Amino acid sequence: MTILLQVLINGVLFGTMYGIAAIGLSLVFGTMRIIFLAQGSMIVLFAYLTYWLFTLLGIDPYVCILISVPVAFMVGLGLFYTLFKDAAAIEDKNVSLLLAVGLMYMVDNLMLTFWTANPRFAATSYASYTIRIGDVNISFVRLMALVIALLAAFVVFYFLKRTRLGTAVRAASADMQAVKLLGISSNWVMAVAFGIGIGLAGLAGVVMASVYSFDPNYGFTFALKALVALALGGIGNVWGALSAGLILGVIESLGAYYIGAGWADAISYAVFILVLIFMPNGIFGGRAAVKKV
Amino acid sequence: MKALYRRLGHKGLISLGIIVAALAALGTLPFWLDVDASYTGYYLFITCVYLTVAQGWNLIAGYTGQISLGTHAFFGLGAYTMAGLWLNGIGLYFFFDVTLMVVAGIAPAIVASIIGLLLLSRLKGDYLSFGTLGLAQIVYVLFVKGGKITGGANGIYLDASYFSSMRVYYWVALLVAVLATLAVWLLTRSSFGLALKAIREDDISAASHGVNVLKYKVLAFAMSAFLAGLAGSIYGYYLFHLEPASVFNMNWLFYPILMVVLGGTGTIIGPVIGSLICSALFAYGDIYFGGYHPIFSGFLIILVMRFMPGGIMGLVSKAPALWRKKEGAVATTTPE
Amino acid sequence: MASPLLEVRNLSVSYGDVRALFGVSLTVEEGLIVALVGSNGAGKSTLLKAVSGLIYPTEGEILFEGEDLGRTSIRHRVNKGIVQVPEGRRLFPNLTVHENLKLGAYLPRTRAGYKDSLERVFSLFPVLRERQNGKAGLLSGGEQQMLAIGRAVMAQPRLIMIDEASLGLSPILTMAIFDLITTLHQQGTTILMIEQNVNMALKHCNKAYVMSTGHIVMSGTGEELLANEELRKAYLGRRAVTGNQGSGS
Repeated sequence: MTILLQVLINGVLFGTMYGIAAIGLSLVFGTMRIIFLAQGSMIVLFAYLTYWLFTLLGIDPYVCILISVPVAFMVGLGLFYTLFKDAAAIEDKNVSLLLAVGLMYMVDNLMLTFWTANPRFAATSYASYTIRIGDVNISFVRLMALVIALLAAFVVFYFLKRTRLGTAVRAASADMQAVKLLGISSNWVMAVAFGIGIGLAGLAGVVMASVYSFDPNYGFTFALKALVALALGGIGNVWGALSAGLILGVIESLGAYYIGAGWADAISYAVFILVLIFMPNGIFGGRAAVKKV
Repeated sequence: MKALYRRLGHKGLISLGIIVAALAALGTLPFWLDVDASYTGYYLFITCVYLTVAQGWNLIAGYTGQISLGTHAFFGLGAYTMAGLWLNGIGLYFFFDVTLMVVAGIAPAIVASIIGLLLLSRLKGDYLSFGTLGLAQIVYVLFVKGGKITGGANGIYLDASYFSSMRVYYWVALLVAVLATLAVWLLTRSSFGLALKAIREDDISAASHGVNVLKYKVLAFAMSAFLAGLAGSIYGYYLFHLEPASVFNMNWLFYPILMVVLGGTGTIIGPVIGSLICSALFAYGDIYFGGYHPIFSGFLIILVMRFMPGGIMGLVSKAPALWRKKEGAVATTTPE
Repeated sequence: MASPLLEVRNLSVSYGDVRALFGVSLTVEEGLIVALVGSNGAGKSTLLKAVSGLIYPTEGEILFEGEDLGRTSIRHRVNKGIVQVPEGRRLFPNLTVHENLKLGAYLPRTRAGYKDSLERVFSLFPVLRERQNGKAGLLSGGEQQMLAIGRAVMAQPRLIMIDEASLGLSPILTMAIFDLITTLHQQGTTILMIEQNVNMALKHCNKAYVMSTGHIVMSGTGEELLANEELRKAYLGRRAVTGNQGSGS
């Protein structure tokens, strides 16, 4: 029983990163109708930034958030205006998809050349602290990851619900043309959504570097997991995306414990395909990620 | 000759002449160039393997407008099917067995049909991409974790003593690539191709005009998987040692995509040009830049999609339109 | 007569090789309701899109208060006070009524008078006040049209361009919407409206233009055109046959 509880808690804590990444994907998909497959690569890239800031300059990973997230936001704006602006305007979404694929492939291989495939980890003094509640051990950094994810989800939720620009972002995911007719710059709306999406990747990167040892090959896996979480949670639902990430973490954690570590990936993809086939609206029944034919 | 001229016209006859000449030159190449000693032999062999995969991807992406991201799974499945059958003594038991190769294509085609039916019957094509990507990762894990059946992460070994000369490889790969290109060309010119194009433009309208959208999408997808599997079997004969990390490598997904988009998606010559160029880049990239060339490949995909999403063929066909644009302004949608 | 607020001179628009407008000219004077009528594909919506900046013309000029709009952005035009109520309403169904209205006053110029504009919309359409926290997608067809017009009013427009306000509405609701448009006009907003319901449009306007296959074929006051035998045959007669279906050009 204790073991099961421990496995469940580990799963929830591991799922936080999927959740953060899925919120980002959801924002980008909502406004631009593209699946940003390079999200995972961006997370790993910012994990390396955190790792560098920590090992070279001795900056604490949680302080790095103040640097990483704004930098990631700017990178997002830059990527949008240099690469995705024109592609977002055309009907054929395959162009944007392939742009993201190209970006992912380039960034992954750049990191592989730059940092090699050796796993890295921001080994802070508190990385191994655990908090003991009853018989269950909870790692401090993992708990922090959950807190950060919840805060991030709240901030994004507040932005979307309570600010004028956030309302425009939500409106844009329903009808971009109508948004334009109100005099609102569609490019700015998309750029901000994209910037926040990458900003969240920056945040997830900090979490990754502080909790796990990672290598460049994580990027692709993470993009896929975030996508699974997105499909589970349904589009346009911040809390849905976050919860789906946590659920995915639990599924993987259970799978790894009861079936075997190497199978965790296969299980989450199987869940993904099953959800795509049987519950295209996601498990929370929100707006469909995909329109039925 | 006159009848041929009447059918093809001036341009068609010239194209036909160029194709015949090129095929004759490529077909007889091993007689005047030592393909074993020269790097060109390997280069052209691998180009043909890529081209076969690329034409399959082109069929589904270029002609139905859907992106499959499971090509590497079908490629690897093809290679493993061939190797598994060979090791178990099934087939006629000789090198480059046609039956084995065809079965190696059919196996992934069946998998593709099943996943295609499941995904495409309920969802619009956008998510086919991600379903196939998920499927590919599952297949990879199955092969790594397959224990004795698949040889696990170490893979399986074939009898390498069959290798005699690159000549056989070259001819087989060339023949298959030419047949694949021809098959895709014929398919797209048939009523099948017309249906695919209708689906690409507007699947709802196609459906309302009596086109069985699902059937055509799944068929195109299965055909694409068949070609990937076929190419996989040829590459399997070349490797003799199959391991998940090599035959399920993501490069078997990304490189063919790059070749198609660089050459021009939805054109028949585009992938040919794309694979010749890209293979050369990779081959010489390997020699001069060591392991860096994947970075350039990614960069190249970005450049092509950013500045010429129609690929090289797109530029060729757009050239006259650009010329005309200067004469009179055309109503443009405003950026904002 | 008042000075022209909007002046379209010799406007031509092409979509690729297809020409949609052939040298169209019209003027909308300050304080008038001007109707633009004609059958499907006559080029009415194209004209509106050119004025709001969704498409750029190939030839001709669009002047607003004497300023050539040229290739300026939609944002610039909304800032000048040109606001379009698009065909099919194009509301944001997942947003609340209030959020839809809030987006209408998105530009900095309109934010200052936000409270007043909101009050104005609510007094014009009291039902929107009642349902302000409900999702826009849950409103009835008539209420959605009111919200679409209300959203445009939030932008504090000098000129509202309404595309097919009566589309898909019952005759009673159509009358109600036209009454509201009249009220809006009486409050001082200049209106340019596109209508397939020629009869209603001509009854409610000060001036009307009749379009056919990309040309303006007739113009005059509403009464003049209503009395015109040729027009009655060409448009009003056919309307009775085609009914209220189909979308604008």
